[in-house]
Amino acid sequence: MQARLNALRYVLGTAAHGLWRNPTMTIGAVITTTVMLITLAAFLAINDTLNTMVTALGRKSNLIAYVRDDARPSRVTAIMRDLEQRPGVGEVVFVTKDDALQLFVERFTDQRDVLDILRTNPLPASVELRMDNPAVLPALADELRGMAETFESVVVPIDVVERLLSISNVSRVAGTVMVVALTAVTLFVIVNTIRIAVYARRQEIEVMKLVGATDWFVRGPFVIEGAVIGVVGATIAAVTLVVLYAQAAPQVTRIISFLPIAADAGFVRNLAVFTVLVGLVVGSVGSYFSVRRYLAV
Amino acid sequence: MIVLQDVCKNYEDSAALADVSLSIARGEFAFLIGTNGAGKTTLLRVLLREESFDSGSVLVNGVDVASVRGAALTNFRRKIGMVFQDTRLLPNATVRENVGLPLRVRGHATRDIDAAVADVLERTVLADKAQRFPRQLSGGEQRKVALARAIIAKPEVLLCDEPTDSINPVHAREIVELLLDINSEGVTTLVATHDSEIVNDLRRRVIRMEGGQVLADEPVGVFSAG
Ligand SMILES: Nc1ncnc2c1ncn2[C@@H]1O[C@H](COP(=O)(O)OP(=O)(O)OP(=O)(O)O)[C@@H](O)[C@H]1O
Ligand SMILES: [Mg+2]
Repeated sequence: MQARLNALRYVLGTAAHGLWRNPTMTIGAVITTTVMLITLAAFLAINDTLNTMVTALGRKSNLIAYVRDDARPSRVTAIMRDLEQRPGVGEVVFVTKDDALQLFVERFTDQRDVLDILRTNPLPASVELRMDNPAVLPALADELRGMAETFESVVVPIDVVERLLSISNVSRVAGTVMVVALTAVTLFVIVNTIRIAVYARRQEIEVMKLVGATDWFVRGPFVIEGAVIGVVGATIAAVTLVVLYAQAAPQVTRIISFLPIAADAGFVRNLAVFTVLVGLVVGSVGSYFSVRRYLAV
Repeated sequence: MIVLQDVCKNYEDSAALADVSLSIARGEFAFLIGTNGAGKTTLLRVLLREESFDSGSVLVNGVDVASVRGAALTNFRRKIGMVFQDTRLLPNATVRENVGLPLRVRGHATRDIDAAVADVLERTVLADKAQRFPRQLSGGEQRKVALARAIIAKPEVLLCDEPTDSINPVHAREIVELLLDINSEGVTTLVATHDSEIVNDLRRRVIRMEGGQVLADEPVGVFSAG
């Protein structure tokens, strides 16, 4: 136990020494890590915002299926019940002819005389859908259009949603690619930094192994050096992120006030924590593998 | 206890060890002699498992050297002290740090390490050189530092590759006395050397190698060029 503690103290001291020995390289690795992780976090934030926007818009955009006057009520009820079970469908509401008239009257008070002339209620009843997931909307609309004996027409205020959806799909794919690529680049930079340090000390590593050092004892300082680079870089990235958010969020909310802004404080905090974790894991795991080759003594 | 059975080791173009069989009892002292390239260093490196070998079997302290790995390998090496022919001192560490390294990697406390280092530097007549770096030492002094590092952790087996190389006869004599001293404490000691004077003086067991083979193995041998 005491031996472990003594060894740990030595490992920490060696790590600190290793970081100071080549400050230019250490700082370079930290800066690269920071830049990479800021970019990565920004992508995650943009992605999340887009997703939230799509969901929010999806809530507003009803699908409206106008019911034929001669449709069988039992059939309509059955279809509604079925729709309620569908994934992605939030709410299914039946709007009667009277409701529709009521709404029309409320909305277009100045055109009452049109109705007076007609004497009968020309407005159809309708089934209205509120979606949880707007992605299924187009398929659902096609399906309902196929039921010509029940519905006279199906209307989807779709274009905004569709455009957002495609943006969010592209950004999701691009985001995933970017996250993977940036993590890989960060890993690459840290691995290389540590590898250079390992290479410079390869004879020392060999001698230490030959006089009875464990792998852990030899590897420890490098893993800690990598972890420190990763965590410091990530912390700078996280702080930058939080500050940027505090500056930018009010502006963004003002410009697109009709949308709930995704990057709320909680999300930013989680993102910051996530960024630091990525730095820690990438730094330590990367170093772990950088040393492996030289431990085979 | 060291036992080799039909050990072969080939480098790309040459056979460094060819069917080497020999056994050295616990606590024994033996010289290993032979011309340049005879295979002495290769043999010692195989015993430390610094080098692998192609066939045959090697037992050191009851451990099968061919298959020892990981933590077992670390423990195995902790029972062996080695003076490397090229010393292998860390250039950026002082004499004190170099000599203390085996204890450092075992997790000993700095206080204990300092005491042990002081003690072993005394034995190797290096006490006044503790703060120097290897490049600030003569060749012979560097060799003594390598010996100090090999014995500080009190190994069961001591392997010395040319411990008196480039050391003047008087100091060489002291080194050999020290080796005998350590051997008398029960440490199995194998010394590869070109130093005919010492070999002939001591009249100990001499194992003579040539071209990777053991040509002669005499309980009381003399240095012979073959
Ligand atoms: N790493 C290597 N790669 C290729 N050949 C090697 C290597 N190490 C040693 N050899 C060869 O193996 C043979 C034995 O070498 P070894 O170092 O064991 O000799 P030695 O008896 O210690 O010689 P010396 O007295 O000069 O130290 C030599 O022919 C040498 O050239
Ligand atoms: Mg040799």
